[in-house]
Amino acid sequence: MPVDIGERLRALPGGSAVALKLDPREYADHYFAVLNATLRDVGSETDAHTIYVAVTNPAAFVWSLAQALDIPVERISFVDAISHIMMNYSNPLSNATYVESPRALEEIMLRVEYLLRKFPHPRSIVVIDSVNSLAIHNPPELLSEFFHILLNNLKSRSVLTLVLETSEEEQKGIEQMLNLVVDETIDVARMGR
Amino acid sequence: MSPATVLERCATGIDGLDNILGGGIPRGNMVLVAGSVGTGKTTLCLEFLVRGAERGERSLFLSVTEASSKLIQNLSTFEFFRTDLIEQGELVFVDLPSVYDRLGLGKEELAPEEIDIVIRTISDLVRSLGAKRLVLDSLTSVCYRIRKDEQIRDFMLRLGQELNEAGCTSLLVSEIGPTPGRYSLHGVEEAIVDGVILLWNTRRLGDILRVVQIVKMRGTAHSRAQYVLELTPIGILMAPHLKGGLEGGA
Repeated sequence: MPVDIGERLRALPGGSAVALKLDPREYADHYFAVLNATLRDVGSETDAHTIYVAVTNPAAFVWSLAQALDIPVERISFVDAISHIMMNYSNPLSNATYVESPRALEEIMLRVEYLLRKFPHPRSIVVIDSVNSLAIHNPPELLSEFFHILLNNLKSRSVLTLVLETSEEEQKGIEQMLNLVVDETIDVARMGR
Repeated sequence: MSPATVLERCATGIDGLDNILGGGIPRGNMVLVAGSVGTGKTTLCLEFLVRGAERGERSLFLSVTEASSKLIQNLSTFEFFRTDLIEQGELVFVDLPSVYDRLGLGKEELAPEEIDIVIRTISDLVRSLGAKRLVLDSLTSVCYRIRKDEQIRDFMLRLGQELNEAGCTSLLVSEIGPTPGRYSLHGVEEAIVDGVILLWNTRRLGDILRVVQIVKMRGTAHSRAQYVLELTPIGILMAPHLKGGLEGGA
């Protein structure tokens, strides 16, 4: 019987950096599974503080989705790097910090840092959703540098980092880049849920 | 390879800055904080003072361009600010224009003997308070009334000496234009000071980033790399300025 994603993630030591590979053909299924595994199984059940970096969908969307899935949301904070450029900033969440653009990669790093300092916690998790969305807005060299610095920084502070990645043929370069900076890749399609 | 002598440091309390300075500014150094509008000069200086006051180092802010009451009001939006530091006298704000008025220094251009009075007044304030940290915001406004290069040089040299003898580490704010090239109004100030912290705004595909770089710091090895700076409610945070393989930053 395959191990489920949540179980696999819970077994990871702090400081691990893991890519979670989603199949675009089953995106909705995989995304719900990943959300459950990261926010509920790892985040809530291990009493961790989760920082969700929202680049694909606005924080408000992820927030309501988590609530709809009955995921406890008290210890989730957001770095939202998409609402501003989507002109979707009229009702900001109180537990979110907003970056003006997904191109402001240093600001994303700094907001993660800010939330880690603001809510010091023995177990912190950073979820980046997703490398593909960041790649739409940033050149590959810049993105590699961003991930290299951010993931090393989080590793040195024992923060578990989960990077969502949609596996697409035309974006093989992203996959290769991510393989260089993460400790392992979990293929969601091959996992039990 | 470690240096022969390690000078005592005055930790700024801004982690990113202390990291790249190897623990902080060498104590007694006089440092220029140069930048154009909206780059975070005043906030950086205020955090330097608040963090110092928290450590029991009396800190003095000499304001030339903005009323202290307004500065304190702005400062209260930061979580790191504590009003009790002002009440306890650990953090002191002085409006220099009111001191000028009391001393009768009303003329637009200061005469050499009036420059002496300004130096003595600052020095006396620092010594009487036992201040270990000083911010002058801004040096540009003071130098605007001195005009002659040799007098500015002399003013800076003597002020630096006085503050160093008092064991006071100082940050002098220098207002410059958005185009890089010089660090002060007259161009002589940067030659005299012990350090230059440069702040500026840069653009990446239309987005503006605040960038900071230590151009010079006597008495310590330091990084000369560029860092992006963010003014957060808990204080200034810094991250490496990503280059993406491009010289000078993407």
